[in-house]
Amino acid sequence: MDKLNLDNHISQQFNSDLEALKTQLLEMGGLVETQVFNAVKAIEEVDSEIAMQVIGDENKVDQQEVDIDEQCTLVLAKRQPAASDLRMVLTVSKAVRDLERIGDEAHKVAKMAIALSEEGVAPHGYTELRHIGSGVQRMLRNSLDAFARYDVEMAVNVVKEDRLIDQEYKTAMRELVTYMMEDPRSISRAMNVLWALRSMERIGDHARNLAEQLIYMVKGKDVRHASLSEIEQHIKAN
Amino acid sequence: MDIVTEERIEKSKATTAESAVSLKKESNPMDSTVESKPAENGPAGVEQYLGQETIGTPYCDNPKMTARNVKVYYGEKQVMHDVSLDIGEHEVIAMIGPSGCGKSTFLRCLNRMNDTIDTCRIEGDISLDGQNIYDPKLDVVPLRARVGMVFQKPNPFPKSIYDNVAYGPRIHGLVNHRAELDEVVETSLKRAGLWNEVKDRLDQPGTGLSGGQQQRLCIARTIAVSPEVILMDEPCSALDPIATAKIEELIAELSENYTIAIVTHSMQQAARVSHRTAYFHLGKLIEANKTELVFTNPQHEMTEAYITGRFG
Amino acid sequence: MNKATQRTIDIVEKNLSKRYRAEKRFRLYGLMSIGFGLLCLVVLFTDIISKGLPAFKQTRILLPIEFNRDDLGISDATDPEQLRAGNYEAILRNAIRGKFPDAKSRRDKRALSAMLSNAASFHLQDTLAENPDLLGETVSTWILADDDVDVYVKSLDGFGEPFTGRLSEQQIGWVQTLIDDEAIRTQFNTTFFTASASREPEQAGILGAALGSLFTLVVTLLLSFPIGVAAAIYLEEYAPKNKFTELIEVNINNLAAVPSIIFGLLGLAIFINMFGLTRSVPLVGGLVLTLMTLPTIIISSRAAIKSVPPSIREAALGVGASKMQMILHHVLPLAMPGMLTGTIIGMAQALGETAPLLMIGMVAFIVDLPAGITDPATVLPVQIFLWADSPERAFVERTSAAIMVLLAFLIFMNTLAVWLRKRLERRW
Repeated sequence: MDKLNLDNHISQQFNSDLEALKTQLLEMGGLVETQVFNAVKAIEEVDSEIAMQVIGDENKVDQQEVDIDEQCTLVLAKRQPAASDLRMVLTVSKAVRDLERIGDEAHKVAKMAIALSEEGVAPHGYTELRHIGSGVQRMLRNSLDAFARYDVEMAVNVVKEDRLIDQEYKTAMRELVTYMMEDPRSISRAMNVLWALRSMERIGDHARNLAEQLIYMVKGKDVRHASLSEIEQHIKAN
Repeated sequence: MDIVTEERIEKSKATTAESAVSLKKESNPMDSTVESKPAENGPAGVEQYLGQETIGTPYCDNPKMTARNVKVYYGEKQVMHDVSLDIGEHEVIAMIGPSGCGKSTFLRCLNRMNDTIDTCRIEGDISLDGQNIYDPKLDVVPLRARVGMVFQKPNPFPKSIYDNVAYGPRIHGLVNHRAELDEVVETSLKRAGLWNEVKDRLDQPGTGLSGGQQQRLCIARTIAVSPEVILMDEPCSALDPIATAKIEELIAELSENYTIAIVTHSMQQAARVSHRTAYFHLGKLIEANKTELVFTNPQHEMTEAYITGRFG
Repeated sequence: MNKATQRTIDIVEKNLSKRYRAEKRFRLYGLMSIGFGLLCLVVLFTDIISKGLPAFKQTRILLPIEFNRDDLGISDATDPEQLRAGNYEAILRNAIRGKFPDAKSRRDKRALSAMLSNAASFHLQDTLAENPDLLGETVSTWILADDDVDVYVKSLDGFGEPFTGRLSEQQIGWVQTLIDDEAIRTQFNTTFFTASASREPEQAGILGAALGSLFTLVVTLLLSFPIGVAAAIYLEEYAPKNKFTELIEVNINNLAAVPSIIFGLLGLAIFINMFGLTRSVPLVGGLVLTLMTLPTIIISSRAAIKSVPPSIREAALGVGASKMQMILHHVLPLAMPGMLTGTIIGMAQALGETAPLLMIGMVAFIVDLPAGITDPATVLPVQIFLWADSPERAFVERTSAAIMVLLAFLIFMNTLAVWLRKRLERRW
């Protein structure tokens, strides 16, 4: 055996099955990204029409989660993948869950947008909404890009950014609570903003999960509960 | 689907292709003397991996058998390149690799079965309990009693079941009278999981059993001489899945008392039965590590490629 | 069904009848050849058997024998000396002259006595020795007839003209009288199986030759089997693969094709001239035949050993058997059927060998039965050869009878080989 053909599995079907999984995941990612973009836009501009669109597209996201999970099961059953292939299938299976959750959170943000449009604009929090909103969108976009490129560096940056987003969220929350204490009439409207911010923070967490899963897939190291320094150590070691 | 996603998908496909190419040409930072050879004999002949250290944990503490710098030649052709491996006490080590990679050859070196092949020449050190087994003064007969072997095709002697198991103890003089011999036969058959099926027909020929039973009979025959190490050369390749499962079960039980080295073509089998796995490629030991690691996160790209089915 | 398959099927069907016809023709040729072979075999056997069967019978003449003390010259029938010295010819003469009193002239009387076998007197001696009380008594005894009478009487029952041979008209007349009186009969020829060679056909038997063959074969078997098997084991298991071994193998294979008479020359030159062994004894015959059958045994034993699968050897070695144990406990028992078959076939071949034994002298006329391997003897094929040369008509049938006995032995041995092989065959 002199000639090794290492780009493909010997079974072409296996090759295309694995590739299809990745493609489907990225498609779902794209859909979820759109959902998040629309939800953030809806709440920034208090546009209930866009919000309704987000709510309507929710079931598409759910359906994709079901489909991709089924594909993963089939690949596991038929091919007994090992090593990197196994990690890839497991990662896809977990990633769709996080993506579906992101979809849920976008749905919630859209609902807050509708509530705000009905009850009236909140006095504060829109800057934070914009900031955190664009932050988590960036995180999601980077996670998905990292996924497409197997880019571990980018994934680590997403993890780092999540810390910042968490900080921002805490700050924003404190401020809003202060405002609510000062002006009790704005409580219900402010609460809507609060819920929206919370959902966005959750979106950031899920995006970070995606990044951690990518690190596991590429490096074989489970970094879900490791500290940042530990993560960087693991990356360097390999 | 929006443009961004489309671009991503394209990028993803390109990445898969790229990472595969890197498997071909990645020069290992550990060895700077190897230049990446362009496809003379294909993208990955073994030449680029010669001179590299085996990745993982080929050595262990208190090994039962050790091999150091083992080279095997068939006539002029070298088929095994500097293999160094330890086999730990009471461990099950699986040897995997594509056809012709030398795993069976290596296994047969461990009990000097390669002596029966005239053109075969072996260099290097192989020791059992610290004693070099290729020492010219060492008698090969007791060595084979200490290191037993089970072959790919079940090969019971054309004698009765009893005589099959009793042959070894008889010729080595391990028992003094009939009652002791009966006991040894019974124990061996029980340990091999065959006693209940054959206890009423011990005088019938061993060749009348089914394939799986024959293989268990061969295992019983091997353990009747109380070996310390059992070598198994693809013991299940001629058997159906149920017989295979029974023997894998047996291997797990046997590992409590014996050290076992098993060569197998089936990676799933290696994953199921072994504690450590050694991956051979064209006569070189590429990686040897704990089985969980090898099958979830192999460190050498050749191991990765073989295990995921990119060649074999 | 597309056009391509349509055409293929048509072509196939067209050629089918031609193919079947060719096969039928081929089968027919085969059957014809077999039929022809069988026909020849039938003709051969019919010829031999029809010629040989009469030899199993001998003619005897009923005569009243008076054990007259004075004529015999014996007073005490228990004394071996007297028994040996007794004049049995006299009482025989008396008996037959009593039957035909009108034979007066000397020539006639001699012609009368010539109708009885020379051996008759010895038979009477034996009879008297067994029953000493017969002395002085008259007993009707069936006396062995001379071979001329024997042939004539047997030919009366056969096809065509009766064979008179050396019998005169007068003798024929006497025989006829005896037939009419029912004083002549044919009975089973025990002499054939109990006597050794003799010039007189009616006294000739194959026992001597049979014993000679037996001793020779025993010597051959005892020498060639162990040496052959050992040589085969050495060549298959131990011999290194070099030019010297190849030389040995080539020589052994060629020896199997050497004309057997060369072995006879070898035996003459080495065993008899150089070692000074006696001529014509089964020991030397056995040695010569050993040399001849060794290649056959070695070749068939090697084939038998080679046919033992290597998996059995590996299994034995894997359990810790030494090389010798592996060979003795596993290879030999499994190869034994093939070895035995080869040996028996070699023995059957040796049984029928004549030329080499002629060279070492086993062609002599041996009257005494051999008692051991160092007594002079002859072998069955040689005996047949000698009898075939003899002029007496009676030897013709005896030759055929001896051939039948030899064939029976050969068939028996080959059947034994087949039976043994079937019996000992083991499946692994």
